[in-house]
Amino acid sequence: MSRLKQIYSWLDHRLQLGKPLIEMAEHPIPNRTASWWYVFGSAAFTLLLLQIVTGILLALVYVPSAGEAWNSLNFLNHQLTLGWFLRAMHGWGSNFMVAVVLIHMAQVFLFGAYKYPREFTWTLGVFLLLMTLGMAFTGQVMRFDQDAYWGLGIGASIVSRVPWVGGSLVHMMLGGPIIAGATLSRFFTLHVFVIPGLMLVFTFLHVWMVLKLGINEWPMPGRVVRRSTYMAEYHELTTRDGLPFVPGGVWKDAVFSAAIIAAVAVCAVVFGPFGPSGQPDPTIIQTVPKPDFFFLWLYAVLSYLPPSLETPFLLIAPVLGIAALLGLPFYAAEGEKSWHRRPIAILVLTTVAVSFGVLTHLGTYTPWSPHMDAWSGGPSIPARFLHTASPLEREGAVVFQAKQCRNCHSIAGYGGQRGPALDDIATRMTKDQLIRQVLQGGGNMPAYGKNLSPSEVTALVSFLETLHPANEPAAADAAQAAATGPSGH
Amino acid sequence: MHRAHSVSLLAVCSILIGCASHLPTMNSVQPVPRPDQIVSFDRLYGENCSACHGANGQDGPAIDLNNAVLQQLLDDATLHRVIRDGVPGTQMPAFGESAGGMLTDAQVDALVAGMRRRWASASLVHPVQMPPYTSTLTGNTARGQQLYQSDCRSCHSGRRQQVTDPTYLALVSEQALRTILIAGRPDLGHPGWLTVGGGRAITDQDVTDLVAYLVSLRVATPGQPYPEQSETGKTAPHTQEK
Ligand code: HEC
Ligand code: HEC
Ligand code: HEC
Repeated sequence: MSRLKQIYSWLDHRLQLGKPLIEMAEHPIPNRTASWWYVFGSAAFTLLLLQIVTGILLALVYVPSAGEAWNSLNFLNHQLTLGWFLRAMHGWGSNFMVAVVLIHMAQVFLFGAYKYPREFTWTLGVFLLLMTLGMAFTGQVMRFDQDAYWGLGIGASIVSRVPWVGGSLVHMMLGGPIIAGATLSRFFTLHVFVIPGLMLVFTFLHVWMVLKLGINEWPMPGRVVRRSTYMAEYHELTTRDGLPFVPGGVWKDAVFSAAIIAAVAVCAVVFGPFGPSGQPDPTIIQTVPKPDFFFLWLYAVLSYLPPSLETPFLLIAPVLGIAALLGLPFYAAEGEKSWHRRPIAILVLTTVAVSFGVLTHLGTYTPWSPHMDAWSGGPSIPARFLHTASPLEREGAVVFQAKQCRNCHSIAGYGGQRGPALDDIATRMTKDQLIRQVLQGGGNMPAYGKNLSPSEVTALVSFLETLHPANEPAAADAAQAAATGPSGH
Repeated sequence: MHRAHSVSLLAVCSILIGCASHLPTMNSVQPVPRPDQIVSFDRLYGENCSACHGANGQDGPAIDLNNAVLQQLLDDATLHRVIRDGVPGTQMPAFGESAGGMLTDAQVDALVAGMRRRWASASLVHPVQMPPYTSTLTGNTARGQQLYQSDCRSCHSGRRQQVTDPTYLALVSEQALRTILIAGRPDLGHPGWLTVGGGRAITDQDVTDLVAYLVSLRVATPGQPYPEQSETGKTAPHTQEK
């Protein structure tokens, strides 16, 4: 025992770390702050550590070359014992980290914790958020599968819209004019050296300030922050009604962090690793790329924006957003912290959260892209429509498939969902309207006028006219069609 | 208050651990093969053909391939060529890479072999020789019309049976008509060559004449949506729109 103590004091005499560490552990925190609301920051930190550890282990096997990356991930998934679990932990860890960092930020905003004297802590936090997103994006590229490929392609096309320097920026980002080996090397360097390095420095400073300035006190309506008096008030609060950080507050952090890690592990085991999906190869076009979940909202926004607004939105919105986040603590360094007295802040937070949720949901569940195989594969149009049909109507069903209408329109529950299902279209549209719709398109439907021969149009429309429930007749001028007969004789 | 929080947290943890207890033994993610490496007949057929030719090769809008007579009528080379190059001028697309499609030669072969395995019957023999897939004879339209009246009118008379509709005839190839006349469309109830002539097996010459007759019914401007109007000189609405 005394031996150990000797070694300790020998070391500490030289390191000089003992005292500050103990001071840190014992520094008083406001009593009510030792709350479950304050655990997200430490959880984010724990997740960062998890990502570093799993990331280092992955880097032992991963080959950052365009030819080998995909194979090495499949090797991890299938050959290496628990390799898939490692990948899954890293992948889910990343998703959790983005989520936890966002929640942490929302909580800090809600509690007014960015106000004097913690403005700079917030500023670093904003950068940490951006870096977390940067890690997520570059991480997706590491997968170097089809999703990564197309994600990069979309990223590059966004960057290319920057006026004047767009082209050179893309060149810089991809390490050349196209996505190739150099691209992966670049993103590997970013993902493994540059961003994590910066992140560690920023995290250290961020935590340092939290410990030195003290944790934000529980906001009370009427307890207004003023630069002149705040420090004294905070000191008074912690001495009158405070408790030491260890063990007073820290155990909740520990429990929550452990729960988060457990949740990551469960997701990893239950849902497995992400991809890799198909090989990254621009010649494979049978693919429906979708970004990872935290970029889905962007995908949804872009799909809804009219094309003319896309470029301004992509270039201006992020700049404004980041500027607003960075400017916030300087604009509102003083004043009320309590959400009871900050209606606008609540409004902003709910709007952002709700739009994020709604857009993410839309991005996840809206069938943006057509169903690429429905024209040739999958179940055919039900026999009910075909067996009683005339040869011309049946041929119309073939045209419907061959012209890929079904990639956007489902019949009998199968097909794309870009356009409405057509099971009972004959009850909604007359022959003339159908002809017009097919020839002229409209909305998001392409005009087929030039791509169909008159025979094909006639066959197609006579087929569409048969699409109604057995007990419900076709629409209005179907009377005329019945009199002349769809085949015309 | 705080106690409640910790209780719920504990509950969440135990649920998560509960989920973890039925672990999949091996992770089920398979490496995704390149699309051009797939040679499973079910996948190839299910992704490329079933929407038109029917899930099990029948009851689709296009001809049923699940028909032993049809499988006998088309030899391997013909099947391979049709799948690779499609039938130009009809809705049957070209699937071969050489013709701008997505399937390699090996995949087309896998489709041919798969169809043979599933839908052909080696033991199929006929009392009379089956007319060949293609014919060297010349068709006689007038004789074809007579045959049509005697052999086909019985079934093909009602509005729903208009195989003489020029718009229909503009969309199908002569070969398709020939194939249907010989192999039939069992899924729809159109009889094959052995029985379509009312008990008399039709010959190569009969098939050729019937096809010649049907083809002679094609018109120069098929597909007018309101034929009566265009016959009286008015232009159909959609030709104006174009
Ligand atoms: C790229 C996807 C796409 C393709 C391919 C497509 N459509 Fe559409 N279609 C749509 C959309 C989207 C609408 C809704 C148009 C609107 O917003 O008014 C639509 C509308 C329609 C409607 C009107 C439905 C209604 O309830 O109002 C018909 C009929 C129709 N399409 C038929 C066809 C036919 C026939 C084809 C093939 C020749 C086809 N579509 C191909 C996307 C598509
Ligand atoms: C878009 C609809 C469509 C798809 C998809 C399609 N076919 Fe066809 N197929 C047709 C039509 C229509 C015909 C009749 C063409 C004609 O008029 O000659 C046909 C004819 C055929 C024939 C008979 C040719 C003959 O000589 O009589 C074969 C065999 C065939 N298809 C095989 C296939 C196979 C195998 C696939 C999948 C790889 C496929 N088809 C996919 C529409 C389709
Ligand atoms: C026993 C009744 C019967 C006889 C006899 C018959 N058919 Fe058919 N045929 C049908 C049925 C049923 C269908 C499918 C339903 C439809 O097309 O209306 C059909 C379909 C067809 C089709 C294909 C239509 C498509 O969708 O591609 C052609 C072509 C055809 N028949 C031609 C003939 C010719 C030519 C004859 C005379 C040699 C003939 N049929 C004799 C019952 C018959």
